[in-house]
Amino acid sequence: MNPGDRVRVERGDTTSEGVVMPSSTSDHIVLKLDGGYNIGIDREAASVEVLDTDVYDVGEAGEPDEEGVSEIEFGDDRPTISLISTGGTIASTVDYRTGAVTAQFTADDVLRAVPELAGRANYRGRVVANILSENMDPTIWQQLAAAVHEEIEAGADGVVVMHGTDTMQYSASVLAFMLDTPVPVVFTGSQRSADRPSSDNVMNAVCAVEAAKGDCAEVLVCMHADASDEHCALHRGTRVRKNHTSRRDAFETVGRSPLATIEYATAEADGADGEAADDAFEFTREYATRDTSDLALDDDLNPSVELVKFTPGMDTAAWDYLDDADGVIIEGTGLGHIHTDLIPRVEGLVENGTVVAMTSQCLEGRVCDRVYDTGRDLLDAGVVEAGDTLPGTAKVKLMWALANVDNPADAMGRSLAGELTEESQPWE
Amino acid sequence: MDIVDQLHVMRKLVIDGSNTSGFQRSMLLGQEGEIETSEGPVSVVDLLLEEESAQRVKEYDGGVRYSLDRLGIPLVEIGTGPDIRSPEQAKEAAERIGMLLRSTGTVKRGLGTIRQDVNVSIEAGARVEIKGVQALDQIDDIVRLEVGRQSELVDIADELQSRNASVGETQNVTGVFEDTDSGVIGGALDDGGRVTAVPLFGFDGLVGREIQPDRRLGTEFSDHAKRNGAGGIFHTDELPAYGVTDDEVSALRDAVDASEDDAVAIVATDPETADLAIEAVAERAKTAIEGVPEETRDATQEGTTRYLRPLPGAARMYPETDVPPVEPDPSEIDEPELLTEKVERYQTEFGLDSGLAEQVAYGRRMPLFEAAVDRGIDPTFAASVLESTVTELRRDDVPVENIADAHFLAVFDLVADDELAKEGVNDVLTVLAEQPDLSAEEAIEEAGLGGVDDEEVREIIAGVVERNADQVAEEGMGAFSGLMGECMGELRGKADGDTVSDILREEIGKRS
Repeated sequence: MNPGDRVRVERGDTTSEGVVMPSSTSDHIVLKLDGGYNIGIDREAASVEVLDTDVYDVGEAGEPDEEGVSEIEFGDDRPTISLISTGGTIASTVDYRTGAVTAQFTADDVLRAVPELAGRANYRGRVVANILSENMDPTIWQQLAAAVHEEIEAGADGVVVMHGTDTMQYSASVLAFMLDTPVPVVFTGSQRSADRPSSDNVMNAVCAVEAAKGDCAEVLVCMHADASDEHCALHRGTRVRKNHTSRRDAFETVGRSPLATIEYATAEADGADGEAADDAFEFTREYATRDTSDLALDDDLNPSVELVKFTPGMDTAAWDYLDDADGVIIEGTGLGHIHTDLIPRVEGLVENGTVVAMTSQCLEGRVCDRVYDTGRDLLDAGVVEAGDTLPGTAKVKLMWALANVDNPADAMGRSLAGELTEESQPWE
Repeated sequence: MDIVDQLHVMRKLVIDGSNTSGFQRSMLLGQEGEIETSEGPVSVVDLLLEEESAQRVKEYDGGVRYSLDRLGIPLVEIGTGPDIRSPEQAKEAAERIGMLLRSTGTVKRGLGTIRQDVNVSIEAGARVEIKGVQALDQIDDIVRLEVGRQSELVDIADELQSRNASVGETQNVTGVFEDTDSGVIGGALDDGGRVTAVPLFGFDGLVGREIQPDRRLGTEFSDHAKRNGAGGIFHTDELPAYGVTDDEVSALRDAVDASEDDAVAIVATDPETADLAIEAVAERAKTAIEGVPEETRDATQEGTTRYLRPLPGAARMYPETDVPPVEPDPSEIDEPELLTEKVERYQTEFGLDSGLAEQVAYGRRMPLFEAAVDRGIDPTFAASVLESTVTELRRDDVPVENIADAHFLAVFDLVADDELAKEGVNDVLTVLAEQPDLSAEEAIEEAGLGGVDDEEVREIIAGVVERNADQVAEEGMGAFSGLMGECMGELRGKADGDTVSDILREEIGKRS
């Protein structure tokens, strides 16, 4: 008996007929009954008769085919948008017979999953990875950056990166440092898996494509602006953070309003035939416009950077493993502090050539180590203030700075890609 | 009923908006059960545990508004096999299931908490699902009327076949009604509408045939037109009427090449709706030649039914991956005492009469009654307070729903401890209903029933006897019942009847 077989199972006085499903435990047979319900039957207590083999193919979802680039065109007058996937479930579909959920990634797969994308642009689909975003790592960032670069070089008028939400902010940040882009590079994903009718995938995907057709040539994150299906927010990639475990509007620009809001209904209607849906966008600030930057890629990274969060009572042994790091980002308290006893430890790291930069676990606000003694001692020890750079952004920035700029310590104190703002203005 | 070894939660797609997630979570809990009825066993095919959907509160142009408070309330769905043979057995099976559910003591009660869908088919008929059957005692009528409807439809189909009936092409017949005096048709035309018609060859006299009380085959046609947005239809079996003249009927027949043996149905409304609606009528008329259509129908107040939609397709279901499988252990569950068993026990063990026993067992305060008896309260007293007294108070517009279980128990305890006379219970409960924040003791004070000792009782009774000295002298103990009423009037709630009667006897004895 194998998954996919049609069987008759007798257990006690009950006879059940259905198709065997893959089971997560060995002591139960999971049967899909004809009415659609799955039930688990105690394997030991049951007698099974196989009626038919391989009724459905319910094998594990395999790796996507190595098809490279797939293309779908709707007409010459439309912009070309490249859809790059790293494995987010923004485009997945359900096989109702088996209940299997599979992620779909070629351009036509994405279009099948999100038909609302049809006609808005000509698409080039491309798979960089098929991973859960918690498994993201620097080598995939490099592949992703290279893929985006190639797509823009090949003529894409904008790039949409479909990405898992867990680490989207890190990927968006690192691409902002690696790439100079003349076109928008828009990250999007969905908080609710795409197999649910209530998924946020359609609206996020449509708004992301419209943003990619738009004028803001930066690395951006496009996700729901609130719990309703009315507005998406456009966040600068280096200033965005996932601030909620599950809400649709989990992504926020820290310390400010988002760079823009997009009205979904307008974006959906105005962009449907390939036009740019400018009226749907409301920008709150200046941004880099299309074609002002020349395309460039600096994708070297030094992965030897640790982000360490200081908490009261922490075992200082946790700082021992930092010895070999080329860079350390401290997530300090308040204005940028750690326990006074740890300052000599930091001093040692800096003397050894490690770049040590300070951020704050407050997340909102900027580090200022000139106010209190502890801060001044930290500055004397050689710590760099990362201003209002977000801790996660500071980590990928230092990875990039160590590999690409002459004076990484100095670079941590100034803005390279909008990650460190000049002023913290109150906003409504 | 056989409980499933391992429960798997499924997602059943629901796209009308009543589930915010777009699906309803549902799991199969048990299979192959059976319930007894006097006409033999009825199989229970499955028992599902699922979540209730959100309640529709408003429909407007932009969509539907739902309230989320009902969403996610646990729902038990029990499916019987198609082996119920009579309307009475259907009702009895539903009652039996209702009794079993209420025996758990944990099901929600009240309006809308129990819903019954009834599937009916007859030989040569078709499976028809009737939704929204609210009241148990309607079930047999609904089944009976549906059986009647189906057999009438089968007869009509036989007759149509013998007449070699057919349905013609739908047409625009606006021209026939250009100068009509019919308010409905004229109004539709004035608003830029049109009249569409379908000739029903060989249908004459049958469209108007009654298939359920006050429902004709034409009403079925009309239901389909209404589902497509029209207000209804006219057909030649009911014309001339409604301002449509004989001449117009003749002109209508001519326009669609219909003879006296044929019927014509028309719809008058805006052009788009009129076309859709008349097509729907034509489709339904074609089915009438074949027999009874399989469909989902809506129960009406009168026990008849009307067309709602086609039968639902197999619900699309896939696993709810957020919830891991659960392995239930039925051995941990104590089977509850059935209400039928309770009724008997209340009679034999507590000496309640059968009416009161049934009232308590099936009543919503049954768990409270059991709790009271458990703490030693006299069952008859508890039962009469919880059923008769409460009913009495409610009739007097006392807001009895404010009286908490703890209030009742405290009042019972005070009576058991002789702190409160039984006769005072009504007054104290009334106070508690009006001021639920009070304790039972405070309510006794508030009702003015506190602090009367035996000495005062004796004084009051002696006073009554004194005032009626002549009568006592004349009648002796014969005056007892008259004076008892007067004493209780003065002492109601302050002293219990037994004490009053003892003292009154003594006082009369002293004088006679």
